[in-house]
Amino acid sequence: MKRIILYTGMGLVLIANLTGCKKDYGNLNSPTVESFLANASASQLNNLVSGTESGMRNSLALYLDDVSTLGREGYHFSAAEPRYVTDLLGANDAVLSNSNFYITRPWASRYQVVKNCNLLAAAATRSTLITAAQKSGYIGFARTIKAYQLLLNLNLTDTNGIRIDVVNPDQLGGFVSYNDALTAIMAILDSAKTDFAGADIAFQLSNGFAGFNDAAGLLKLNRALAARVAVYSQQWATALTDLSVSFFNLNGDLSLGVSHVFSAGSGDQLNTVFIPQNQFGEVRAVHPSYTTDILAGDDRIAKATLRNAPVSQSGLTGYRDLWVYTSSTAPIPIIRNEELILLYAEAKIQATQYPDAIVALNRIRTAHNLPAYSGAVTKDALLAEMLYERRYSLFYEGHRWVDLRRYNLLGQLPIDRSGDDVWSAFPLPVSEQP
Amino acid sequence: MRKTPLFLLLLLSAAFFPAVLFAQSIPITGRVLAPNGSGIPGASIFIRKGALGTVTNEEGKFRLTVPANATVTISSLGFLSQTIKVSGDQPEYTIKLEEDVARLDEVVITGLSTTVKRRNLANTVATISSTQLNGIAPAQTLDGALEGKISGAYINANTGAPGGGTTVKLRGVTSVYGNTQPLYVLDGVFIDNTATSAGLNAVSGADNVSGATSNQDNPSSRIADINPADIENIEILKGASAAAIYGSKAANGVVIITTKRGRPGNTKIAVSQDLGFIKARKLLGVRPFNAQRAASLSSDSLRGVALGQQFLAAQSAGKIYDYEKEVFGHTGFTRNTLLSLSGGNERTTFYFSAGQKDEGGIVQHTGYRNSSLRFNIDHRINDNIKIGVSSNFINSSADRGLTGNDNVGASLGIALAFTPSFTELHPDAFGNYPNNPFANSNPLQTVALMRNNEAVNRWINGLFLEATLQKSDKSLTRFIGKGGIDFYSLETNAQFPSNLQFQASSKGTSIQGSTRNFNTNYILSMVNTYNASEKLSLTTSAGITQETGDYNNVLDVATQVIAGQSNVNQAGALSATQFRSKFQNSGLFAQEEVAIWDAVTATAGIRFDRSSNNGDAGKYYAYPKAGLSWNLTRSGIMGNGFFTNLKIRAAYGQANNVPAYGSKFTSLAVSNISGSPGSLIDIQEGKSDIRSERQTEFEAGFDVSILKGRLSLEATYYEKNINNFLMQNNLPSSSGFTSQWVNAGNLRNRGVELGVNARPVATKAITWNTSVNFWLNRSLVTRLDIPSIPQGSFGYVLGSFQIQQGKSATQIVGLSPTGIVKWGDAEPKFQLNSFNDITLYNKLSLRFLIHWKAGGQNINLTSLQNDFGGTSVDYDKVTNKLGVPDGVYRLMQIGSSAQEFVQNSGYAKLREIGLYYTFSQLPLHAIKSLKFGVSLNNYVTITKYKSYDPEVSNFGTGFSTGVDVDPYPSTKRAVFHLSLEF
Repeated sequence: MKRIILYTGMGLVLIANLTGCKKDYGNLNSPTVESFLANASASQLNNLVSGTESGMRNSLALYLDDVSTLGREGYHFSAAEPRYVTDLLGANDAVLSNSNFYITRPWASRYQVVKNCNLLAAAATRSTLITAAQKSGYIGFARTIKAYQLLLNLNLTDTNGIRIDVVNPDQLGGFVSYNDALTAIMAILDSAKTDFAGADIAFQLSNGFAGFNDAAGLLKLNRALAARVAVYSQQWATALTDLSVSFFNLNGDLSLGVSHVFSAGSGDQLNTVFIPQNQFGEVRAVHPSYTTDILAGDDRIAKATLRNAPVSQSGLTGYRDLWVYTSSTAPIPIIRNEELILLYAEAKIQATQYPDAIVALNRIRTAHNLPAYSGAVTKDALLAEMLYERRYSLFYEGHRWVDLRRYNLLGQLPIDRSGDDVWSAFPLPVSEQP
Repeated sequence: MRKTPLFLLLLLSAAFFPAVLFAQSIPITGRVLAPNGSGIPGASIFIRKGALGTVTNEEGKFRLTVPANATVTISSLGFLSQTIKVSGDQPEYTIKLEEDVARLDEVVITGLSTTVKRRNLANTVATISSTQLNGIAPAQTLDGALEGKISGAYINANTGAPGGGTTVKLRGVTSVYGNTQPLYVLDGVFIDNTATSAGLNAVSGADNVSGATSNQDNPSSRIADINPADIENIEILKGASAAAIYGSKAANGVVIITTKRGRPGNTKIAVSQDLGFIKARKLLGVRPFNAQRAASLSSDSLRGVALGQQFLAAQSAGKIYDYEKEVFGHTGFTRNTLLSLSGGNERTTFYFSAGQKDEGGIVQHTGYRNSSLRFNIDHRINDNIKIGVSSNFINSSADRGLTGNDNVGASLGIALAFTPSFTELHPDAFGNYPNNPFANSNPLQTVALMRNNEAVNRWINGLFLEATLQKSDKSLTRFIGKGGIDFYSLETNAQFPSNLQFQASSKGTSIQGSTRNFNTNYILSMVNTYNASEKLSLTTSAGITQETGDYNNVLDVATQVIAGQSNVNQAGALSATQFRSKFQNSGLFAQEEVAIWDAVTATAGIRFDRSSNNGDAGKYYAYPKAGLSWNLTRSGIMGNGFFTNLKIRAAYGQANNVPAYGSKFTSLAVSNISGSPGSLIDIQEGKSDIRSERQTEFEAGFDVSILKGRLSLEATYYEKNINNFLMQNNLPSSSGFTSQWVNAGNLRNRGVELGVNARPVATKAITWNTSVNFWLNRSLVTRLDIPSIPQGSFGYVLGSFQIQQGKSATQIVGLSPTGIVKWGDAEPKFQLNSFNDITLYNKLSLRFLIHWKAGGQNINLTSLQNDFGGTSVDYDKVTNKLGVPDGVYRLMQIGSSAQEFVQNSGYAKLREIGLYYTFSQLPLHAIKSLKFGVSLNNYVTITKYKSYDPEVSNFGTGFSTGVDVDPYPSTKRAVFHLSLEF
């Protein structure tokens, strides 16, 4: 009898426990992808837009260090991180590794934004809470930014290619070659251009997009990026057409354009390319060739300020500090008029319309306290002049290494230590290897 | 909902009381004596296993009412138990117990509510007594006190920083990126051991992708809060075969901590005071510079000449400094006071203690303070109901300094590595520190101005209720309920004033974290013992369990802090992060134990578990266990001649390890710009069907003791398979994700544990007790479904861990001239320890613990940093084949071979040694005993390892232990002890 009571008791307890409410706490810390795909509201979509804009800055300083070190624009001396001056410069036997931070992080950060753009486009497409015109605005923005992010990764891996189709993480598209990637990026920009026609921009962008935050402005940004892609693809006529509908302005402000902005606000980021002058330990030193190659009187020497004392690491010495970004809230350009003028000059040179090209080059030269161009009016001489201007005008904005590679001129880069190498492309990150 | 079962059970048990039967009873009295004739206090007297009995008082006397012709068992820890037959005409008994040298009668926990004697145990369960734990040369914290003491364990101090921080792995690596730390149960309460980062990554940038926190922030273990002086003993269930019944959290083993309880008799008052000091175990030394060496620090010839001149000027001014010594050479003073009261009567006993320790560090302005109060009460409401309460309040504070890896040159070790001895870092007459021209920080300034404090207030409260529901000649049924709560608040406060050199751009940083953690658990069980006959007894237990946890961490990082202020709102910029986690695990269990002739014991049990962390939170998973032991001497197969005890045993069990919180979601992180809130997809892809990893363990062995137990041997072989282990798969990052938790493969650990206990000398004058344990473990990844990549360190160039099918789980691989090769393994070849206690005339005791870890490798980047900075002590020695300075040679290896950085971290340590003298006959009668002692902790280490200590882990307690990047140097302690008993 007692046993029966006992077992009944145990049974009751068991049942009480089994039928007890099962606990699934959900995600207590952040929204989930599912919540965005289930009929997103305008404010949810706007959060994705801001997240996208914000995310573009992730690993951006590292990207600039990568291309600027390989292009011998400067050195990042770091007491704790020797690989900036070993691997990136090919010291001794060091090579670029496919598992090291200098490729894995910027690569992943760009694709993270691409993923966010894809999510934004998918969420906008599914949302029933916004108008069709607003939908086009979100999608056009997502596509434009996606194309730009893909281009930056292509700049790193060059002939090793990139993936374009990354919508489904379980079934990623294959790697496409450099030329095919440029074509695909151009196609994405073109489809965004279509989106912007008649679009209603229902979202807010940061001050970095000031003047470009409506449909017309975003279209101009889109075409400016398209012009860069066209020049990279050597589609000179296309480049000129795209420039004409971009914000290209031969006589306009050179700094006019779109940029990444920084602030100390909560959840925001600071510009980490900025390091105060005359530091030790963490230093971005300008490559000595910047000073030796610059023309007398060129005011762009101000981008490299003389240090009180030189700084050395691993057999390299810097005498000047990088002074392009002069505070931790200084913006970093995405694309600006000075580059557009030089893209215009390049396309004109390649189209053998030299006088137009010289006008553009002189616009840059006079702006920087240099006399008008007086060199030979030949394609080679003008291209050399254009590359000089690009080197100094777009210093530490991520161009020189890419430009020299486009013209097969990487061999011109100085070798600082015997055994150093000039790399032409980053390997694909180890996670992408088949 | 949660409270219903307890309520229900109480109701049920109340309903039972009238049914309890009392047979015709007689009162007996008696006295229990030790072999030397003195009374044994606290010995238990009971009629049969599980039934409530009584305990002896101060003089060893007892009184108990028993049925006529009952068989009464008398047992006491450290003595062999005895049974006597009660006869109606003898009311008084004198029982002399024999000493249990081989600890055969020690009672060991085998279920959630059941125990078994060691002689019948099917598993090896390691037990650490309070003397072993805290009576040789006490460590600063409980985690430190475990080091080198558990056979089958890999225990490694992560850092020398005040407040502890230790990795504990029982029987090999049981998970890759899942939790690898065991479950700690303190008096029935599942206590939390989460390591919470103070957000130092916001300053150090050690891991520059992970935001304000990283696994390199060197947090302490929360287990460090518990005062070791309160602990009676610790039992360690090393794997699933023993621990399965603990369910979801037991896959890495269970450490069961039992605190001291009161005994009936006069109130005992004990006071102890320790005083001592702490010094660095070893300093690496600095490079002896000369003008030419100083000049070679720069490749620029002009700068080189200037450096040479700077050296000569410093030399002639007598200003060559040993900055390593100035930073790490401080002597910290320690004091530790403990007051305890214990006593009670036959119905109620209590133990109360109050303790405080205050210890300085080897870096100025670092140290550890811990104050704790404990109150344990046991009360018998009547012959059938017993309750117990354990209450513990802890306040601790650790100032841990800024050490370890960083990417900005702020950490002390990194700054020292780049600072040559001839530069001037001392403050000027106004107290202003000069900037360090060789590094991003002035370590003297950093020590003087920065603070990194962790402060904890913690309350752990355990409850215990045991009620006899039914009693008959053959059957006894009890309800046993235990559980409790563990609540703590942890405040982390790291201050970096703006005048610090490395704060030039942040202009002052204040990082304040606030963590609240609330855990609850209960185990409600019914236990029935049924004695079918003299030869057969059955113990059935079944019940329910539940564990919940609620963790909430808010971290504020303020930069551009107003001079002299620390509040996060007194700042130009503020960013905040919050992380919450909650879990609820529910389980049901049943266990059956069959004992035949008290010689063959068979146990089988099963536990069903579900967890809110699983992909499917509602699904129950089953975890069985079984064990069989056969005591050959007891069963009469072997005569009681040569062998005192001979037992063969085997056990099997399964347990699981739940997925990391949040691994099933793809979430979006906050990423704002210009005041607009932004959502950016997280780099971790969620896996909606994530499952627990399942561990299956089989162990078998034998125990032999001979010479009346004076020599005994325990030998065990185990095999532990972890199926579907959890690992972060590295996804092609073009997917937008870099990682995803997956059930990635299978892993196996095999190992051997041998233990010898002996009393080689036992005379009136001298007794020598010794134990020697030998253990080893080998792991093998038997299946891996995802691509194998280097992880857990800095890549192939400097040496890295890599999970690969067919390879050891803890292998260290790296570059070699012929490609990627294995350079080492974090797993030691074997470990060996030996406890010794030599006592003269019961008065003078010499105790020591030796620990030998043979082999095993670390990734040593501390010496590499010194080479980078050109400051290694042996930089200019020439022992390499190229004939260049060794420092240069080592730097040349970067990029071609990682061999230089993967170094053997084997060691032999005299971990603890203590000498104690006890006065028991004192002129002052009020004082019962007076004890003096001196002890040394971590004073002797024999190792070839080239850094502060081979015991180190910059990456915390996870899978990748043994990475050495400029840690807080390991310390040694010398302490004087005085204790009084009234």
